[in-house]
Amino acid sequence: MSRPDPLAKLIEQLQRLPGIGAKSAQRLAFYILKTPREDVERLADAMREVKDRVSYCSISSNITDADPCYFCTHPGRDRRVICVVEEPENVTAIEKTRDFKGTYHVLMGALSPLHGVGPDDLKIKGLLARVGEGGVDEVILATNPNVEGEATAIYLAKLLKPLGVRVTRIAMGVPVGSDLEYADEVTMHKAMEGRREV
Amino acid sequence: MPVHQSEALILRTYKLGEADRIVVFLTKDRGKKRGVAKGARRARSRFTGALEPLTRADVAYYERELRDLVRINYVEPLRSPLSAIDDVTSDIALGHVGYFAELIDEWAPEAHADERLYRLGASVVEALSGRAPVDRLARYFEYWLLRLQGVYPSVTACAACAGPLEKGAVMAPREHVYVCRGCAPAAGGTSISAEALRFLREAAAAAPDRLAPLALSAPAGRELETAHRRLINVHLEKELKSARVLREMSQGSHGSEASRVRR
Repeated sequence: MSRPDPLAKLIEQLQRLPGIGAKSAQRLAFYILKTPREDVERLADAMREVKDRVSYCSISSNITDADPCYFCTHPGRDRRVICVVEEPENVTAIEKTRDFKGTYHVLMGALSPLHGVGPDDLKIKGLLARVGEGGVDEVILATNPNVEGEATAIYLAKLLKPLGVRVTRIAMGVPVGSDLEYADEVTMHKAMEGRREV
Repeated sequence: MPVHQSEALILRTYKLGEADRIVVFLTKDRGKKRGVAKGARRARSRFTGALEPLTRADVAYYERELRDLVRINYVEPLRSPLSAIDDVTSDIALGHVGYFAELIDEWAPEAHADERLYRLGASVVEALSGRAPVDRLARYFEYWLLRLQGVYPSVTACAACAGPLEKGAVMAPREHVYVCRGCAPAAGGTSISAEALRFLREAAAAAPDRLAPLALSAPAGRELETAHRRLINVHLEKELKSARVLREMSQGSHGSEASRVRR
């Protein structure tokens, strides 16, 4: 089937997005074609603006539209506590709790031998420099609870502890609202290990 | 759609679409398979925790005609490498999880049963979970993997003169066999001490969870690591990604920097 060139080009570009296959790309392209021009321009402007204005914080490596980022400059944030996460979207997940008032450091990934991601590919130097400058009491390691996240957390702990800072790891265990019957062996083991007195 | 149920080792996963994963796994009875685990990336997925590399699990999957990808119904973990953590060397142990998984993935034939390879992988998971010394386990695993593929050179007789290799050996440059010191070229090659060869001879008769009593000093371990890397690279015709990362991790490339920052 022959399509007008601009439409074929749009489908081809949409197909490059994660999670978008040929059919979804075609559906989105036809939706864009039928959408009023002003809506499409708003979408295009938003995409252009995100590339123009969003960059990485020079302190925390978090995404930001002003360098340093909101968390590194806000007077209400406690700079003595740094929470280390793998990706910028993890910051949003922790902020949802409204409990954490410290600052963040984004590694931009986790150690992954299978995917060839080593220590030099992560933002570890910046974290060590922040802690080395002093004024940090605690580093919370909030990497994902999987093999890669665990390896990263233990690797970082080994580097951070000699700097005289308290290093903690987020708790692991049974998700709220779930059923113990369906918890696997490792999750249950971690939950028992991390139990606390009530 | 025939349903298969088998014990398997999870080797690696790739993200697929919004919430799914493609899982590469080595079954005990039908070789390496690739399948789709629907919704595996959702927080409350029934696969949570079961798809970590080198997890030994019961896997049920459907095979569809003319499709390479099977559809995974459930994965019930039996042994997880995450139970290997707790001690100070855990980052290296967990790093080796990816290394072992990549080695098995590279060597396992698609859809062709290799029960010996499966048993080697499963016994290594067991040994890791039992806190076996990870450097010795890695050399053991490489040795046995290469032996099972029929490409490990003799550790008892010189490949040139057939004399005994009691006082050590050399793997000459561009050669992938062990020769005695008398037959070795004047310079170059990978030197293997008598201690390292003794470890291999003992490893040939030991289970991976019985490695602790076998002697292997750090220098002898490095000799074997170098020789094994050469053998692996020449047979795979590439360097494993995980080998490079492991090297960086064990060198603690940031360790010296941390001390410098502190000063």
